[in-house]
Amino acid sequence: MPWRRPTNSGEDSMETELPSISEEEKDTLQEIMNIAFGKAAAELAEVINIFVVLSVPYIKVLKAEDLPEYLRYEVRDFSTISIVEQNFWGKFRGGAFLVFPADAGKALITMLDAEHETTFESGSMEILEKETLMEVGNILIGACVGKITELLGDVVTYSPPTVLVENKPHDILPERLFDPEYTAIVMKTVFRFDERNVSGFLFLVTTQDSMEWIKQSLAEFLEHYE
Amino acid sequence: MARKILIVDDSPISRKMLKSCLPKDDDTEVHEAGDGLAGLEKFKEIGPDITFLDLTMPVMDGAQALEEMKKQNPDAVIIVATADIQVKSIERVMGLGAFLVLKKPPTRESVGDALAKADEFRGRQHGN
Amino acid sequence: MNELAQILDSVNLGLVILDTQLRVRYWNRWMETHSGIPAEQLVGSSLFDFFPSLNTPRFQRSCKSVLTFGNFSFFSQKLHHFLFPFRPESSFESRFERMQQSCSMGPLRDEDNAITGLYLTVQDVTELAAYEHRLLEMNMRDGLTGVYNRRFLEKRLEEECARHARYGRGFSVIMFDIDFFKNVNDTYGHLCGDLILKNISGTIASLIRKTDFLARYGGEEFCCLLPETVLASATLLAERFRTTIVEMKHVYQGMEISVTVSLGVAEMTAGLPSFEALLKKADGALYEAKRAGRNRVVVRT
Repeated sequence: MPWRRPTNSGEDSMETELPSISEEEKDTLQEIMNIAFGKAAAELAEVINIFVVLSVPYIKVLKAEDLPEYLRYEVRDFSTISIVEQNFWGKFRGGAFLVFPADAGKALITMLDAEHETTFESGSMEILEKETLMEVGNILIGACVGKITELLGDVVTYSPPTVLVENKPHDILPERLFDPEYTAIVMKTVFRFDERNVSGFLFLVTTQDSMEWIKQSLAEFLEHYE
Repeated sequence: MARKILIVDDSPISRKMLKSCLPKDDDTEVHEAGDGLAGLEKFKEIGPDITFLDLTMPVMDGAQALEEMKKQNPDAVIIVATADIQVKSIERVMGLGAFLVLKKPPTRESVGDALAKADEFRGRQHGN
Repeated sequence: MNELAQILDSVNLGLVILDTQLRVRYWNRWMETHSGIPAEQLVGSSLFDFFPSLNTPRFQRSCKSVLTFGNFSFFSQKLHHFLFPFRPESSFESRFERMQQSCSMGPLRDEDNAITGLYLTVQDVTELAAYEHRLLEMNMRDGLTGVYNRRFLEKRLEEECARHARYGRGFSVIMFDIDFFKNVNDTYGHLCGDLILKNISGTIASLIRKTDFLARYGGEEFCCLLPETVLASATLLAERFRTTIVEMKHVYQGMEISVTVSLGVAEMTAGLPSFEALLKKADGALYEAKRAGRNRVVVRT
């Protein structure tokens, strides 16, 4: 019997009524993510001069309508969260959500060091926090998505990131994220900026219509290793 | 050149990829394990000439397994395969006794290169 | 010139291309016009040779990230104000000394998809920024007198309370109210009342420090927030307010009118749970001043 990676949420990870992704495809995507995130962590360290740890990514296939509930479950231990959201599109299309617990923004500011060119008006701490979250988020998302697409032979465009700072999870996670007809493939990793012990989740959500291309590119990737 | 190779990695795809990069000669015996603990067991059981070890594994991670294997056999040639090539990570595993670090994804070239270096080292070890 | 090149030179957008060493490869007409530097002078040199102010950790990080990961980087006006120090387009826009810009950065690739450089876009958003500022200001200020409004004051009070709770930094408030204001309105009309409100708020505003806040709290009621001020100093200031107002002569339709004010002073202490409690205390003092005969300062310790 093929060895199965242990799941880390309370429920069974395979929604078996969704036939769109096979076990082997899932394993291959898992390995792609492994490699992509490992490289991303390494290069991130160079760009922002901070040692980053990216955990082994975890893949889950969900009906799009189940996505908000899943996300809420994942962040249940956080009293308030900040979210950086960024969409990307190419043949691989979807959205990335970086979720930080409260106060992460402030910790990140000290991490990026306090050389700030901006002049401050009232409410400046808020702005600085927001900017830092956006900058780190933009780079993290770009690194992870960029490396995945690089390995699979695609190039994507990004929308500007948007940030919501310190809200109760219930307030900002919407009821509907995508068209309910869509399947969402969630790729989750936990990242940690070692020096400041700031950690959070990165969720990549891609939609059904990227699936065909993903399956094809996974097959092509594996062909090199036959 | 008859030799025993052990591949320890929790991703079956990763093991498959590495295997396919190994030279296709009949003298090489390839063994596999899916986590650090099983890998350590296999290591003790078959005493491989060269071990490929992934870092991020459940149950017992690569760094721990590396330490244990080195305790078992200080001369063992253990190649750490990883995608995380941050200088700090590399320094850490080299400090624990890794022979060299192989970047993921593996290619026939990078694996061939690593094996050549390993063979050379083993040759010197046996007093050539 | 081909059509795309024509567009790049006539569009109302700054476009710069940098190679992986951040040397300028392309500098479009818009950039030439607004920088005063022709392309031939720049191309081939490092961007920082001509714009040393751009050489910041943030900018370097963004370039590095774009060149390494192929993602995009964004510089919003709200956070950065501008990247290139250009003069505003309009000679009459006095609010900003420099053109306000919204910029973005993205990768450029060759046929093998390797990243060979990056492009930078620069958009002039000065007018938009000025409009936004005006809206924000209006939101914070009282329409008639131009001093801060109640909403803004309460926000500031909340912040001061938080600072007090965290660092123990004391502050005081003065609440004052024009005596018999209803009578003034009834006798001379609302326009006269408005004039008096404007005069008083203007004069008091000039008496306080840059770090103090004067707000119109109600119809004829004002509240002055004094950070880093102890009760004794606040009381002295309140007395100064009183005498200044007493001596003011408001001229309306040939008549000279004088008014007085009653004032209540209170200081933030550890015992007070919120800014509302502090205001209540000051208001209580103000009420006492009224009852005791008006035109006076009452302090609540």
